[in-house]
Order: sequence, then structure tokens, then C-alpha cells
Amino acid sequence: MSARPDICLVGVAKSFGVDGRRVEAVAPINVRLAGGQMTALVGPSGCGKSTLLRLIAGLEATTEGTITIGAETPDALRRRAGLAMAFQDPALLPWRTVEGNVALGRALARKPRDPKVVRDLIALVGLSGFEGRRPAELSGGMQQRVAIARALAGEPELLLLDEPFAAVDALTRDRLNTELPPLWEARGASSVLVTHSVAEAVRLSDRILVLTPRPARIAADIAVPLPRPRGAEVLASRAFRALCAEVTEALRVHQYPDTVAAQ
Amino acid sequence: MKPGRGALSGSPEAEIFGALRRGVGVALVLLLWELLARATVGSYIIAAPSEITRHMLGHADLLGRALATTLGSAARGFLWGNLAGALLALAAVLMPRGERLLSTLALLVFCLPLVATGPILRVLYGPGSGPQVTLAAMAVYYTTFLPVLVGLRAAPQGWFDLVRSYGRGPVTVLREVRLPAALPYLVAGLQIAAPAAFLGAMVGEFTGAERGLGVLTVRALRALDLPATWSIAVIAAGVSMLAFAAVGALGRRLDLAPPEVLLAPPVARGRRPWANLAEAGLATAVTLLLWKGSMELFGLPRFFAKRPEDVWGYLVAAPGADAHRARLLGALGETLAMAVPGYLAGLLLGAGLAMALTLRPRLSGAVIPLSIALRSIPIVATAPLVVWALGREATGTIAVVALMIFFPTLIACQHGLARTPRAVLDLFAVYAASPLRRLLDAQLPAMLPALFASARMAIPAAILAVTTAEWLATGRGIGALMATVASTSDYGMLWSAIALIGLAAVLAHALVAALERRVLARTSPEQLAR
Repeated sequence: MSARPDICLVGVAKSFGVDGRRVEAVAPINVRLAGGQMTALVGPSGCGKSTLLRLIAGLEATTEGTITIGAETPDALRRRAGLAMAFQDPALLPWRTVEGNVALGRALARKPRDPKVVRDLIALVGLSGFEGRRPAELSGGMQQRVAIARALAGEPELLLLDEPFAAVDALTRDRLNTELPPLWEARGASSVLVTHSVAEAVRLSDRILVLTPRPARIAADIAVPLPRPRGAEVLASRAFRALCAEVTEALRVHQYPDTVAAQ
Repeated sequence: MKPGRGALSGSPEAEIFGALRRGVGVALVLLLWELLARATVGSYIIAAPSEITRHMLGHADLLGRALATTLGSAARGFLWGNLAGALLALAAVLMPRGERLLSTLALLVFCLPLVATGPILRVLYGPGSGPQVTLAAMAVYYTTFLPVLVGLRAAPQGWFDLVRSYGRGPVTVLREVRLPAALPYLVAGLQIAAPAAFLGAMVGEFTGAERGLGVLTVRALRALDLPATWSIAVIAAGVSMLAFAAVGALGRRLDLAPPEVLLAPPVARGRRPWANLAEAGLATAVTLLLWKGSMELFGLPRFFAKRPEDVWGYLVAAPGADAHRARLLGALGETLAMAVPGYLAGLLLGAGLAMALTLRPRLSGAVIPLSIALRSIPIVATAPLVVWALGREATGTIAVVALMIFFPTLIACQHGLARTPRAVLDLFAVYAASPLRRLLDAQLPAMLPALFASARMAIPAAILAVTTAEWLATGRGIGALMATVASTSDYGMLWSAIALIGLAAVLAHALVAALERRVLARTSPEQLAR
């Protein structure tokens, strides 16, 4: 992956019309996310962080403001298949095998067919031997790994992860958090991760944007200067815990502004 | 679900034992049937299996040729009808704005009474198999259209987002998501279509064909030839069940997961009343335009092909319109007096039995396979027998309508009941709630969407059943009226009757759909969300 595009949001806002009322999902946001970094968007449920991600993906149109990725609009990047997205629901096609689903990621991205790349990716996510299985035969964690492999199969310049581990049990999630980062670090794509797990955000990302309840604004912008790979000793470190505490505090202050005011 | 079934049928002893038990069961039924027939030999209702066998063997050649003819027409109608249904569904998905209009038109054409369209098609095509094939196609396209439409739309949002996130358009969505997702729904539609096509071809043959099982049916009825009528009914039932089973086996061969919901509730797009009114107005206008336009396009003679304004004149403006109207409405009244009780009885009995079976699960193991088999029997082909058995009074016709609706409703409701969420059932189990309480509070709400879907599908079925029974057996009501005026070339009355039935069907459908939305908004709003 040669290109590591910056993501630039200028005055980006989004509101929806619901039953004739306007609901503001994202308040005007200005931020620049450096290329090749992983940025985590953290915030309470329903705060609009997934909407922000969909705006970056070009799946929704902004109500105001502009987003540029490298020198392109999200739509342009999407149209030349420069981005890949992993969803909360693995969204595997049930009639395709594991191999077929991963290969679909390449096909949709208009990359030439390459069974070796597909098989290597399946091996990389630890599913060798399961190539011929259907999604229904896999556990939730395995399905999510197939979805990650599918996202990587298209060789994206920008990887968008929308709570990809939310539906996975805690132990599996921990394992995926350990095993998967090296995959995309090696590929060097720019990436944005939406999560509401503080530890996950600190562990995976280079920078954390804490968002307020709806409409989403940037409440805190926290750099994560921890060394990589982030093995057990990093997770046990004081720096790691301090960062977790900082993010948690930022979340608390903005989630319950009333309680803060009362103190 | 698979391992259990595999383990049971895996052992050869169990297989032999099962076959033995089925064999004994069939023999027992045949014996009872024979005895019953012999006991009631004076009343000309039931032909004994021995008589039927003798008739079949004695006329094997004739019956075989007739069956081949009907099968040929049914197969061609099956092909064209399903093709039309699938393409219509595709068109509706690709043009979401036109979906309501397309659905309404599709329903309207499906509700056209075969009793009337048969003679008209006969005039249009002349001699030959054209009308049979067309009627067979018309009998199947709607039951394929609906499930395929649901299947094309049923994919989760995430799959569409996935394709869009790669910047790919509607064509890729269609190829990678919609079409594969719709495949099991198509197979389910084809399964229902297989017996329906056979029935449509038979009804097509009622109206002046030269060969086929339908011709033999009419002949046997006229001659009060009991063994012949029963033989044909048995053959029709057997072929339908085989066709139903064959498509089912094909689906299993393809290893398709059975679809979740076959008939989704109507989409409520226009929230404001004026939007619905405007849509109804548009549908009416398009219908009238198609009606008149196609007749003008093909240059059909006015004497035979009445335009909308001719029907208006016949019923409202022309001299004698009062008498025409009185005759038509009188016949409609007679028909409704049969159709409505039969419709309600079929629905209530089907839903009631499905609910009763959840209280007695052991029983359902025996009843459900039987009713799946019986659903595929063309009830209409057996209508004369039912009317003979129950008399030409109201009971017979009502029973035919109810029977026609009963089996599909039973199976749909059974399916709906089985979709009660596991967690809800567990909740009731935790509190050791009585089966009745569980049924009323948990399972009944889960069943309602299926019941309403059946209620909508039952409208055309009721029209088909009541008009055919009136025509073949009782000689009353709008079915008999249409048969009479078709034979006397009173085409003004015939087209008026068609228009009235079409209007009644669409109104009934709208009524059920409105009731459905109102009830489901309370019991299962998630069903209406899309």
C-alpha cells in the first residue's frame, strides 16, 4: 500500500429528518487525521460516531462541510474501491464459503482474482482449513475474522472499522485485539475505528477522539504514544492505565454534564 | 436441525419400520374408504378404491393421453407464469416507486375469475392449447411474484452497505446480494406454483378444449359418472402432490435454507390518506388504460372485447341498465353469501387447528405432513365431489371455499407459530406458564403476520373456488352467471362481471391489508418497519 491518505474534515455536520423533525447527529467537526495512523472514535451509544464513519465512507452525504481523503472526496475514493469497511455485523453472504466471502472483497474492489492472496489472508486470520465452510458453520469470532480478511483482501488505502468486535465475546475480542492489529499495521493503511470500549481504543489506536452525546462533537483529542506491538507488558503499564483513565474521564464528563456541574 | 434428522433416517431398521408403518396406514385408509363407499353406494357420492382402480385400468390409455396433454399445457404455463412472476418482482425492486402500482395490477389480474377468462381466451386463441397454457400461467405468476419480491428485498442492510462501501452500484447489488438471496424464495414460490399450474391447465380445459383431464372431468360430471370423476380427482391430486414434492426435493438438493418469511406485510409508504387515494386513483387509471389500450392495440372486435366505456354503458347509461345491474348484483350477493362464510371459516379453522396443535405437539407430527400433502391437491378439481357430498345448498359451496383456504392457512400459521422467539418461550417456561397462556401471550402474536398474509392470499383462492363451484355444481351466483352469459355470447354482462369481481377483490385486499397494518402495529411493529 503506497498511499496513506490523510483524512480531512472541514465543518462536517449531519442531520436527519425524522417524522418531519430534524435530528442533529453530528455537529460541525473540524479535524485532520494523519495518514497511516489508526484513529479511534469513542463515545456513548447513539452519539453519532457510526454516522461519522459512514460520512467518511461516503455511504451518507454530509449536510454541511466537506471531507477529503488524500486529495479525493469519499465518493471518489469509494468509487475506485480505495476503502474497505468492516461492520458490527460481519455481513458475510451466507451462500458463499469462507474463501468465497474473502474473494468477494477482492472482486468488489476490482482487484484481479488471486486465490493465493485469498488463502494467505485466511491463514493470516487463523482460519486455514475452514476455506470451504459456510458462515453459518462458524462461531461469531470466526465470522468476524472472515470479515476482516475480506476487508483486507481489497488492499484498501483506508480501512474503516465500525465496532467490528462488538458482537464477539470478551475472550475472543481480546484475542482479535492481539492478533489483528499487526495485520493492518503491516499494510500501513490509514484506518478509523469506532468503538465504545475504552481499553480497545487505547490498545489499538494512535489517536483517540472522544465524542460527546448527540450531536457528536469532539470532546477530547488524546494521542496514544504507546510503543507497538502492544503486548502484555504494554497493557500492564502505568502509561496504558493512565490513558484509559483519561479517556474514561473525558467520556464521563461529557456523558453526564449535569453531575459534573453539581459537583 | 440436520443432525437429528440424519440420525433418525440413518439406521436401516428405522427406515424399514417407518415404511412399514406408512404402508399399514395407507392400507387402513383404503380399507375404510372402500367400506364407506360400499355402505353409501345408493347416494352416488363416494366411489370405492376398487371401482376407481378398475376404471383407471379400463381407461388407462385414455387417461394417460389426457394426463399427458394436461401436463404439457401445465408445464408450459408453469414456465411462462413463473418467468413473468420473477420478472415482475425484479421490475418492482428496480423501480421502487412503481412497486405499489405493479403489485396492485398483478393482484387484479390474478383475481380475474378463470370461469370468465377461460371463455374469453378461448375466443381469442381459437381451438388449441393457448387458453390452457395462459390460464396455467395466470394461476402461478402471482404466487411466484410475491415471494420473489420479498426475497429480493429481504437482505439485511449490511449486505447492501458492504457492496456500496466498495463503490459498486445496483447491478452488483443485484448480482451479488439480491438474486442469490431471492433464490430460496423463488424455489418456495415454484413449489406452490407446481400444483397450481396443473390446476390452471385443468380449468382451462373446462372451457371447450378438445383433449385433457379437464375435458374428461366435465364429461364425467355431465354423465354423473362417479368412478370417472373420482379417478380424475385422484390422478390430479397424485400429480399435484408429486410436483410439489419434486420441487421441494430440488430445493433441498440445492441446499437452500428455507426462507424466513414468505409473504411480507404490505409496505405502508404513503402515510397520508391523500397519498393512498392518489395511488388508488392512479392504479384505476392505469388499469382502465391497459384494458382499453390492449384491446385497441390488438384491434379486438367491439362485439366481443368490451371496452371500459361499454361496461359503464351496459351497467349505468344504456337502456335496460337497471335490469343488467339488478341481475349482476343479485348474482354477486348470492356469491358473497357463500364466499364470505367460507373464507372466514377456512381462515379460522386453519389458524385454530394450528394453535390447537401447539397444545398437542404429538398430534402435529401426524397432521402437518398430511396437510402439506393435501395443500397441493387442486381442491377445485375435487369441488364437484365436495358439492355432491354436501349438497347443492349453501353448505357444499361454503365447504369448497373453506377447504381451498384451510390448508395453506394451517401451514402458514404453523410456520408463524414456530417463529416465536426462543427467548420468549424460555421466559414462559421459567415461570412454568400454562401452555394456553403461552399460546395466547407469546405464540399468537408471532402467528398473526402469517395469518394475515394467508388472509390476503386467500382472497383470489376464495374467488376461484366459489366461482368454479357455482359453475360446475350449483348453477347459482356470479360463477354460474358468467358461464351462462359466456355461452350465450352476452359479452356486456361477462365483462361487467369480470370488472365487478376485480373491483371486489382489490377492495377486499385493501380491507384486509388495512386491518393487518392496524393489528400488526400493536402486536409486531417490527414486521412493518421496512
